[in-house]
Amino acid sequence: MEFTREIYWNVGHGALTLVPMYLLVIAALAVLVWGFRKRLAVYRQGLPLDRTDQLGARIIDMLQNVLLQKKVARVVWPGLLHGLFFWGFFLLLIGTTLIVIQADFTDLLFGIKFLKGTFYKLFSIILDLAGIVSILMLGGLLVRRYILKPEGLETKRDDAIMHGLLFTILISGFVIEGARMAVTEMGTPLAHWSPIGMAVAGLMSGMDEGALRMLHKTTWWFHLLLVMGFIVAIPFTKFRHILTTSANYLFADRGPKGKLIPLDLENEEAETFGATTLKEMTWKDIFDADACTLCKRCQDRCPAYATGKPLSPMKIVNQIGEAAFTDPDTKLIDLIGKDALWACTTCRACQEICPASIEHIRKIVDLRRSMVLMEGEFPGEEVMAAMEQTEVNGNPLGIGYASRGDWAEGLGVKTLEEDSEVDVLYFVGCYASFDKRNIAVARSFIKLCHAAGVKVGILGKEEKCCGEPMRKMGNEYLYNSLAQENIETINGYGVKKIVTSCPHCFNTLAKDYRDLGFSVEVVSQVVFLEGLLLDGRLKVKAEGLSCTYHDSCYLGRHNDIYDAPRALITAAGGKLVEMAKNREEAFCCSAGGGRILADENIGERISVKRVMMAHATGAEVLLSNCPFCLTMFEDGVKGAGVEETLRPRDIAEVLAERLL
Amino acid sequence: MKILVCIKQVPDMESKFKIAASGTWYDSADLAWRMNEYDEYAVEQAVQLKEQVKEADLTVLCIGSERVKETMKKALAMGCDRGAHVADDDCAGKEPYEIAAIIAEYAKDKGFDLIFTGMQSQDRGSAQVGVLAAEMLGIPSISTIVTFSYADGRIEVKRELEGGVKALLKTRTPALVTCQLGLNTPRYPTLPNIMKAKKKELISLPVADLLKVEARMETVKMYFPEKKGGGLVLEGDPGQLADKLIQILKEKTGVLA
Amino acid sequence: MKILLVAEYRDGKLLGSAYELIAFAQKMAADSVMFLAGSEAALPAYDGRLYLADAAVCGEFNPDVHKALLLDVIAREQPEMIAFSHSSYGWDLAPRVAFALRAAQVSEVVDVADGALVVPACNAKLRRNVQVKTAKTVVTLQAGAFGLADAPAGTPAVEKISADAAGKLEFGGYEAAEQGGVDLSKAEVIVSAGRGVGKPENVAMVAALAKALKGEYGASRPVVDSGWVEHKRQVGTTGQSVAPKLYVACGISGAIQHLAGMKKSEFIVAINTDKDAPIGEVADVLVVADLKQFVPLLTEKLQAL
Repeated sequence: MEFTREIYWNVGHGALTLVPMYLLVIAALAVLVWGFRKRLAVYRQGLPLDRTDQLGARIIDMLQNVLLQKKVARVVWPGLLHGLFFWGFFLLLIGTTLIVIQADFTDLLFGIKFLKGTFYKLFSIILDLAGIVSILMLGGLLVRRYILKPEGLETKRDDAIMHGLLFTILISGFVIEGARMAVTEMGTPLAHWSPIGMAVAGLMSGMDEGALRMLHKTTWWFHLLLVMGFIVAIPFTKFRHILTTSANYLFADRGPKGKLIPLDLENEEAETFGATTLKEMTWKDIFDADACTLCKRCQDRCPAYATGKPLSPMKIVNQIGEAAFTDPDTKLIDLIGKDALWACTTCRACQEICPASIEHIRKIVDLRRSMVLMEGEFPGEEVMAAMEQTEVNGNPLGIGYASRGDWAEGLGVKTLEEDSEVDVLYFVGCYASFDKRNIAVARSFIKLCHAAGVKVGILGKEEKCCGEPMRKMGNEYLYNSLAQENIETINGYGVKKIVTSCPHCFNTLAKDYRDLGFSVEVVSQVVFLEGLLLDGRLKVKAEGLSCTYHDSCYLGRHNDIYDAPRALITAAGGKLVEMAKNREEAFCCSAGGGRILADENIGERISVKRVMMAHATGAEVLLSNCPFCLTMFEDGVKGAGVEETLRPRDIAEVLAERLL
Repeated sequence: MKILVCIKQVPDMESKFKIAASGTWYDSADLAWRMNEYDEYAVEQAVQLKEQVKEADLTVLCIGSERVKETMKKALAMGCDRGAHVADDDCAGKEPYEIAAIIAEYAKDKGFDLIFTGMQSQDRGSAQVGVLAAEMLGIPSISTIVTFSYADGRIEVKRELEGGVKALLKTRTPALVTCQLGLNTPRYPTLPNIMKAKKKELISLPVADLLKVEARMETVKMYFPEKKGGGLVLEGDPGQLADKLIQILKEKTGVLA
Repeated sequence: MKILLVAEYRDGKLLGSAYELIAFAQKMAADSVMFLAGSEAALPAYDGRLYLADAAVCGEFNPDVHKALLLDVIAREQPEMIAFSHSSYGWDLAPRVAFALRAAQVSEVVDVADGALVVPACNAKLRRNVQVKTAKTVVTLQAGAFGLADAPAGTPAVEKISADAAGKLEFGGYEAAEQGGVDLSKAEVIVSAGRGVGKPENVAMVAALAKALKGEYGASRPVVDSGWVEHKRQVGTTGQSVAPKLYVACGISGAIQHLAGMKKSEFIVAINTDKDAPIGEVADVLVVADLKQFVPLLTEKLQAL
């Protein structure tokens, strides 16, 4: 016998079925298009931003993320449920499409049927399983949302509509299949290729054929109406993420990671700088809100949120969207709240985990820019003072600029002014220049370089703050002037290669300065040292060290440097016990985003929380690679009361002690 | 209303000071320059007054070399309307009386209703210029103000006395006030205002046109004081240490007086 | 040489700075007369002539009238020098008098050396010696710079004076210092606790020392993080930046943000068991001691003064 089935069995394949069915489909699709066109007009309220460059790569990224659910699957359980549900539903969509193609196209026009034989058997079992997997996964998601209720997960009307609609569609699908099979397939070998359908048909064994046909026909139309309802609902409910999130993969920021879009400070026509309303943000910032599924992964990882500060990255994204769709003139800063905006450490945990490729940091910095540049407002007077100190002395600590090179005394390091023939320029940064604790790190680095035969030079009093904290705080103007001065100085000496020990300096010189025409190669200290180690120029002995390692945000998430520091630790003989939150998931020290300049006066201290995570590993040493982190942890171990058992250190210090 | 605010550019006090070859002043190499802190309050108050009365013209005056124009630009960015730069490469050597005379000479025929100055400069710390200039102009002056209000040609201020006590004072304009730290919160110039400041009038006047008096005193020597305690490290019996420390506090600080 | 000493009187009381003026005159080995706009009920122990204007008539603070009174006294006594305290009263009145006398004014004199007046410059980082070119000199004296070796004694020969000048300023009374709220940025003495205090109970020790020094107590960030001290007392660039006359750091090792927030203090004492702690670099005096022993001892001795 031929394995196949009669399409449109029982409902009829005549005009009485096809005309109303296709009218419904056309109507539903029309509503879908209309719905999105309306939204498109809202997105267009934003400023232009080109997100169609590298189109090929963008499309590949999108396909990978949609089909493989790459980003979604990064959080195991909900990711798995969503991923499998997606594939189940996607297969059902493909199956339905194949049926349409055969019944109303190839068969109708050319008499070609392909849903037959082995292919049909596979088709049957795959769709049958896809259906049941979808139901099970949806059930899992429903249990999670409505029974387990994870902290912070917002459940709204949309979620009820979505769960209800999807469940009814899936179950009614099985009812249709069951009724059909009860009449036509029970007892045939084909039935076994639709095990779920067969089980449903089994449940209907008591019904006579008339009733089954009646049930089948009504459910079929009901199912069709629900599917049309689903299509119609896409633009008006969170279902829209099927399209918007997918599109957001296409429009994603393709880096370099953590580089901000510069403000045009030369533009004399400009009346405003930064954003106060969404009209001064880009279309992508509005679109991001539509791509957000409220999965709260960003919020779960936000160090500010976790310590009781009024910041939720998810909320900000959606507040911008809400304003766009209600009142585009809404003052976003008032809507979101200044404390929330100032609380961000730009640690990028939100952006890195976001399964919808939303860009949180840029929005926050844009709003900060308008507070700083248009209102002269800061989170506190201490931050304004730090800005003024930096204007005067080129460092936020307000220490006389002329003593910037004093830390290197006795090390035999020359400034480029004295001798510009060097292998590398060490861009020291403010903390390693002025803070006794971090000077120890800088001195260790120099020792390592000398041991490896690397000739290092510094800028001494000619070096200025790289401008990173100021820029992240929104002070683009001050950042720009600092950057210009540094670039001019560095270019003036014809430097070939720069090493930075501060990840903030690294990110700024290596990425942000590029927009200002800076092109010198910049390497971070850990990568540089790893290179020396691999080349055999640097030799250290492995000596027992019980430690844990904190991934700084700007080396880790902003630059994906995770292995080099670990390789150095291993080379030094470190027995590394990882914290639960490590690598991409590392928890910030609190000092990013310019917060190093600010008083942390709301909620718990982030640094103390991180120190407790390190303490929980039982390690004796908390290793890090960033002067801000080290500063925060030196205070943090005391604040947490664990200074006797946990010692914060920089990797360079540990290596310098183990020089052979 | 016409308002004048007088500012000074001073070295940042965190700078590495060195004595100049003359031995009578500090060397200007390796210093970071900024607006005298007290003057920032004066500028802010002047701008606030201008904003309050709407119809006002606010001039900022500064004496010094070309370098001081940077500091003047900050005042312009904070909201002053125009700048009067008294070009003088040797202003560091001028004593308060001469500086006050320059200001008075500049202001005498311009009909300023209010003049704001800092209570003192951070480098000289004489606390004379404002009051002297007012005496020269024959207008009332109130020094060390920590609050300020203006209405209908009258000002009401509080002056800061020792121990946090304040004195309430009123007078009529024209008048001069010298501003103490904490009078207000000096604003951080906004970017549009920084840009506008670049186009504001900034006229340079040669100091010779305004200085018509002679110095009444001179600095004969500038030097570093003997270290207060000089990084003194005290070790030993706690009881004796306490006595030693009390002795040092008596000698070196005024807090046990 | 004759010096006219201008004593001060406020809110019905003679200010103790009068004795610093006397000490200055002694140091200058000069004769002195004194001027006071005050009251007969509150006269200094002073062995000399005192020109007394009744503050009830001429006002406690009325620079124009006080200037007129002083000029009158100066005309009678012809002193070569007129000495004020470098105080809110002195630095306000001195330039008015100096201008009227066509005299040079030297502000905030801390010492006399090599025949020159010594004054601080640049936040006391530097000093300068000043020589005047005028016949008369007006000086203001830094508070605490000159002190009497012995207890003051004597009864002044009071000569009452008055003036019919009118002032341009209207005095509206005093406003008392704000009570309650802590404002470290205004405190003249701050004693701060670091993690070296060991446990929250020991913060009381530090607070007691602050009280004995008539100052406020503060804390480093870790102590605030631990919740031992309220947040508004945190000293540092991310808390309060302070510049008191005396800063005592108890058990503070000296993280950069703390140092940057307090190093403008005029005099810094650090109490620490670790000689090499970074705080030592900014401290004028580093007391190497266990603060739990040392601080109560010091407090006791200060209270006994």
